[in-house]
Amino acid sequence: MSTPVSLTFAGMRRGMIRSVPLLPGIFVYGAAFGMLAREADMALWQATLMSLVVFSGSAQLATLLLLATGAGLLAIIATILIVNARYVLYGAALRPWLGALPPGKAYATLYFMGDTNWIISMQAHAEGENDAGYLFGSGLIMAVPWLLGTIAGGGLGVLIKDPATLGLDFFLVAFCVALGVGMVRGRADLIIIAAAAVTALVADRLLPGGWSTALAGIVGGIVAWVRHEPAT
Amino acid sequence: MNPPLDFWPLLIAMTVASFATRAAGFWLMRFVTITPRLEAALKATPLAVMVGIATPAAASGKPAEILGIVVAIALMRATGNDLVAAIGGVATLALARQFVI
Repeated sequence: MSTPVSLTFAGMRRGMIRSVPLLPGIFVYGAAFGMLAREADMALWQATLMSLVVFSGSAQLATLLLLATGAGLLAIIATILIVNARYVLYGAALRPWLGALPPGKAYATLYFMGDTNWIISMQAHAEGENDAGYLFGSGLIMAVPWLLGTIAGGGLGVLIKDPATLGLDFFLVAFCVALGVGMVRGRADLIIIAAAAVTALVADRLLPGGWSTALAGIVGGIVAWVRHEPAT
Repeated sequence: MNPPLDFWPLLIAMTVASFATRAAGFWLMRFVTITPRLEAALKATPLAVMVGIATPAAASGKPAEILGIVVAIALMRATGNDLVAAIGGVATLALARQFVI
């Protein structure tokens, strides 16, 4: 690596700037959670606090669904561990990078990790970014529309009546497709894509949501592991 | 909110469970030696994860989704700009949902 691993304001700034175009989609997602929380009879301050400290759309939406069925705490904890299993993989992939930081800074950075900022940060890291502030800053700035969205959806009654008509529910998918196409460097990458796609298809049919992402990532890693040729 | 479940225990449980998933992989890798081979495997995960996120949408068989993905791929190849490609894909999907479905 060219530069040592650090966590600076300059790095945070780069991560934040890269995240700006992604913020509207997160606002809409937050508004959807706010509206559903309101329908579940949660107070606005409760929904907002939840968005602040849990900071995970998939975990929060799954919890609302479970609350509606009268589920208990253990079922909710188990479900969060399952729907967010992909974060375990994300964290593992960050070890070679964030492992060089003092643990306090590393875990504080992980607190703000989500799908979108992990993806853009891993991409930036692959291109030489070594400042963990990139991940921290992009996560931090994404918390803003997430909170504002929760408040708007849950409190002000801002009705994004159907995010589907705006296509914003599709943003993460389109962004992943574009970034993925941009990351393909050769035949080895195509094999990883094929293996991950097949895994995701099967997992999507057989397992609860969230697992297809985690398993596709794991299988992609295994393919790269098997095909790795030591540098001579 | 559901009466049998109090807010504070729920909030604490959710926060701990979410953070546990974020921290667990990083923490566990402390005990693993990162060989070049393992590093290659970890480096391959972002691409595979993106495929994992996009594939279920593509496989849904809905024309709007498929059209959106095709446009995103085409725009990425043409412009090399991921945001242009993503926004183009979303716009295509939104239009397709208005007219096709």
